[in-house]
Amino acid sequence: MEVKTFKGGAHIPHYKSYTEDKPITRLSSPKEVIIPLLQHMGAPCEPLVKVGDKVKIGQKIGESEELFSAPVHASVSGTVTAIEPRTVPTGDKDDCIVIEADDGPQEFEMKQVRDPETVTVEEYRECVREGGLVGMGGAALPTHVQTSPRQPVDTLLLNGAECEPFLTCDHRLMVEKAEELIKGAELKMKSIGASKTLIGIEVNKPDAIEAINKIIEGRDDMEVVPLAVKYPQGFKSHMIKAATDRDVPRGARSAELGCIVRNVGTTVAAYEATIYDKPLIERIITVSGPRVTKPGNYIIKIGTPLAHVLKECGVEELEGHKVVNGGPMTGLAQVDLNAPVVKNTTGVLVLPPEMIPEEGFTDCVRCGKCVERCPVYLYPNHISTFSEAYLLEEAEEWDIMDCIECGICAYSCVANRPIVQMIKKAKQKIQKKHKAKQ
Amino acid sequence: MTQPQLASTPAPHLKADMRISTAMRDVMIALLPISLMAIYFYRGYALLLIAVCLVTAAVTEVIFRKLLQKPISLNDGSALLTGLFVALLYSATTVWWTAAIATFIGIGIGKELMGGLGWNRFNPALFGYVTVFLLAPFLPFLNVDYTPWEVGVVSQATPLVMMHQGMEMPAWWELFVGFQGSGAMAELSPLSLLLGAAYLFYRKHIYWQTPLSILATVFVLTLLFGENPLMHLITGGLILGAFYMATDWVTSPITGKGKVIFGVSIGLLIVLFRLGLPPTEGVAFSILIMNAFVPLIEKLTKHPSFSEPKQASAL
Repeated sequence: MEVKTFKGGAHIPHYKSYTEDKPITRLSSPKEVIIPLLQHMGAPCEPLVKVGDKVKIGQKIGESEELFSAPVHASVSGTVTAIEPRTVPTGDKDDCIVIEADDGPQEFEMKQVRDPETVTVEEYRECVREGGLVGMGGAALPTHVQTSPRQPVDTLLLNGAECEPFLTCDHRLMVEKAEELIKGAELKMKSIGASKTLIGIEVNKPDAIEAINKIIEGRDDMEVVPLAVKYPQGFKSHMIKAATDRDVPRGARSAELGCIVRNVGTTVAAYEATIYDKPLIERIITVSGPRVTKPGNYIIKIGTPLAHVLKECGVEELEGHKVVNGGPMTGLAQVDLNAPVVKNTTGVLVLPPEMIPEEGFTDCVRCGKCVERCPVYLYPNHISTFSEAYLLEEAEEWDIMDCIECGICAYSCVANRPIVQMIKKAKQKIQKKHKAKQ
Repeated sequence: MTQPQLASTPAPHLKADMRISTAMRDVMIALLPISLMAIYFYRGYALLLIAVCLVTAAVTEVIFRKLLQKPISLNDGSALLTGLFVALLYSATTVWWTAAIATFIGIGIGKELMGGLGWNRFNPALFGYVTVFLLAPFLPFLNVDYTPWEVGVVSQATPLVMMHQGMEMPAWWELFVGFQGSGAMAELSPLSLLLGAAYLFYRKHIYWQTPLSILATVFVLTLLFGENPLMHLITGGLILGAFYMATDWVTSPITGKGKVIFGVSIGLLIVLFRLGLPPTEGVAFSILIMNAFVPLIEKLTKHPSFSEPKQASAL
């Protein structure tokens, strides 16, 4: 088996054994869901309901006229009790629609409304748009934006790398929903006109590779690409480089490179949106951590408060712990357990105090680990020092804007420098500066 | 659920467990064999010198950081390591205050006044040592012969000087394993140093590029000039310099290419010093000279970003 990868990056302890063998199960439906009107990159939705309205599960409750947006749907049947700013995973307060669930059944009825054999490309695109699909691997880019590329695209690249430690939701999805995944890939290929699908999976998921290989056996338009277990293998640019050996120059959209990268979870969700008219109202989320009594891969409704998730998974002691929305390398530390899980929540992790890194840092001692590991071949040592001193021009000269914020520099830093944070701050300042110039 | 106080430091939420202090501790461990060898050969002399340098290192760092109003950073272990290095750079019969002054200059001026660990352009231990070496002709008290008690220490020409003067040399293996009278304590057993270096490779603190390119350059050039290359490799502190001094994180280039340029240049200079000039301190001078060129080497060897458009695709 030829294992592909990119130059740079590093092996990070996986912590996947807590959940990698746990079959997908459904988490109980919460009494109240909090649906943020902005769960994607782009314009926020306008509410389509008002306080007091009765809503049904799957009903569209927010929408925007903008192209770069994705509608939001009720993930439970019940009554709208508030439309107001609530804490969202970023820690900010954003407009949310709060729905109190009624006592009826709270499961979406999966009724086939379209035949995968006969569904048209136009129908597919419409369903993806109407279903509120966004990149579920983390980017949360509205999916429909990518369903009709202007350039010809030869390759669909399914991203099943799941390179972040702890996370296993994509892994389990590939094992248990391989068939839907491949059917979803067929729809997507048709929609973008691709002739080939590559499925990139890190080799620490042999059962996923096997499950998919079994289904695509004998086909020459689909192929699993085994990838080295290395962070950040699952980042789009590095997935493209590893699987297709195409360079990914700055500013280039993946479509311009002849391939489109799609998270495996999004692919299945788009399939379900098309065949069953099921909008993105729930997703598989890995709930994990060394002291979580019931870790697992759960189907959780979008808008479920973290407090509900944690309680259901047997988490009681949280004082001094860290709750992360997402993976441990790029995820968001939560400040408020009333914040909901959203469309791109891949994991809910509970890290006990002894796992939380200390905070103090010193000057760079030029050990070179960050340079050696940076997947974008930057010099995080120099860039962080420039950023710290507000030398923005120097930071730009050293290509700070190419940084993909994977966090491997900060992970590796022997001086414990929060390199990626310094870089993020400097990037924002540089962007502001450029905007001011225009 | 009542809201507990959650930790909310930003991503990444995982960190590798390597810290500056772990690395410094590992280098100290790597220096254990040679230190024990020195103590075995020179007993009280070696112990005294090492102890004086360690204490001076700690005191100097505390004083300077207090004066500069910076937090005390003895915990990172870098000062103690510098102290140990300075001690090992001296022969055991060096008078203790000479080594103490070298330590003081290395840490006080060479490191702290240059901005502290990370900002020092020169290897602090070598900086202190060479400064004292250059001052010695003007300050006679630095050159006192110090043998207050007898341990059978024989003052004799170092192997490098013996080689230079065409004297009969001890057996190669003897010099390699452990030879009393080798000058600096760090020179008395290349084998012990290599054992420690193997540990540093294993712990991934040092990379092969720098030491290998130094050794290879010295080997090839001395061979070309009709010298005994194997003898050159194990004398005059070359092993200490190549594996421990030239690999210092702060004062050497970061990229592999840079390390090779750095190493080859050091090798060239060492041979130049050894064959063309009085045969002492060539290694120390060569490394310090090349320390000064690190920023230039870094600039010349800068690699392009992953996202840099390739020329072909720009057409």
